[in-house]
Amino acid sequence: MGFVKKQKDRRIEQNERSYQRNCDGFKLQLNDPDPAVRRWAARDIIQCPDASTALLERLEKEETVEVRQAIFTSLINIGDSVAVAGLVECLRSEDAALRNEAIEAMKQLPEEVSPVIRELLNDDDPDVRIFAVNILEALKHPDVEKWLMEVLETDSHVNVCATALDLLAEVGTEKSLTSLNYLKARFSSEPYIQFAVNVAIERITNE
Amino acid sequence: MNNTAAKDISISNEDFQKFREYFYRKTGIWFDESKRYFVDKRLAERITATRTDNFRSYFTMLRFQASGDELQKLINSMTVNETYFFREEYQLQCMVNSVLPEITEKKLDRSPIRIWSVPSSSGEEPYSIAIYLLEHWEGINYWDVEIISSDIDTNMLHCARKGLYSHRSVQYLPAHILHKYFRNTDEGYQICDELRDVIEFTRVNVFDPLETKRYRNFDIVFCRNLLIYFDDMSRRQAAENLYDAMKPGGFIFLGHSESMSRISPLFKVRKFSEAVVYQKPLYTEARR
Repeated sequence: MGFVKKQKDRRIEQNERSYQRNCDGFKLQLNDPDPAVRRWAARDIIQCPDASTALLERLEKEETVEVRQAIFTSLINIGDSVAVAGLVECLRSEDAALRNEAIEAMKQLPEEVSPVIRELLNDDDPDVRIFAVNILEALKHPDVEKWLMEVLETDSHVNVCATALDLLAEVGTEKSLTSLNYLKARFSSEPYIQFAVNVAIERITNE
Repeated sequence: MNNTAAKDISISNEDFQKFREYFYRKTGIWFDESKRYFVDKRLAERITATRTDNFRSYFTMLRFQASGDELQKLINSMTVNETYFFREEYQLQCMVNSVLPEITEKKLDRSPIRIWSVPSSSGEEPYSIAIYLLEHWEGINYWDVEIISSDIDTNMLHCARKGLYSHRSVQYLPAHILHKYFRNTDEGYQICDELRDVIEFTRVNVFDPLETKRYRNFDIVFCRNLLIYFDDMSRRQAAENLYDAMKPGGFIFLGHSESMSRISPLFKVRKFSEAVVYQKPLYTEARR
């Protein structure tokens, strides 16, 4: 016993996968009973046409963490309009973990997500609007401050505004002072908003 | 023919942005503004070495060169490779005292224990692992062990295979270890052939799922101080690739300032008395 000496023909890979490695095969394997097979299919399907559709269909019923992670990573890598639309739909899910995973995934797609951000910020459901602000938290996009200012000026729901306000306190510049004061006036009977706006203004003007 | 000196070459903000986006797409490594000086300096060196005179010509050559040789040279110069023997020794102690006993207990098929050290840098880490096993793990007498070590930097792989080290690299090794496994030569400390013969060095980009696809079934992975160079997305991708390279129940060591929990929910945190290690779950676990 001891170290196995290196050999010219030593294989780094030990096991051969015996499944069909093509697009039709991957689609079938996404529904295989073995999670390991589903995970590899979710990884490898990325080059196939309609991959986003197949991945999103699987995501709806997938319960295993490692398969879901692979699906989300592939959707981020594909980043097409189908993938983004599917991620947006996840925001409406009752499954909190799925929503959080979708938010994390969307943060990685600034260019792809930016066209739908305004739509999300105007969604009828205030929870979806809050999730949209959560996405802005880490979205590396030049319009983040502008979008947050719009929320402060127009959104009727105090929780949505409070979420945007917390973020603006971190990323805002002097450009947002007018919007902050406007929010303070709109929610004059909300002590938290009064307090948080003052904190945000102080932070921005002191920088 | 031009002979512009590196110090005379300037890299504009626009050049820097263009370059870092290209380099990120190719390697997953993202340079933030704080690395600007480092990047500019190395770009200027490569522009001088290739006699392309300015960034624009160099960048065109870099992108369209069919062989990809210059991209590899650039990668080699942009990656940081400083390390030394027995670095973060408490993790090596954890490997022999806590992790290996758990692995061997569950390894009913008695297949070789597979260890992947990535990035290899100039080889200090994989050779340290081998030495530590020989010196501190009795199981080496009863088990077969395979050590594979990989890096994206081909210059570093060449150095690792050569196994010649400076005093600085070996300064924390006990004298008897140095005497036992190294030969003092005019060029430096030469690691013994027995160890050079057992470590397989290969080139891989950990961020690339296609390149890592053939790396499978590792019981232990050392991936220390690498993920810190990646941005969030690349870190996520690298974590997925490492996960797929490991056996269920396998362990991964990260650098002391790195946390897998902040990158991926795929791994379990294992707190041993010597160190925190991350483990690929033995069985697939449903979320709900």
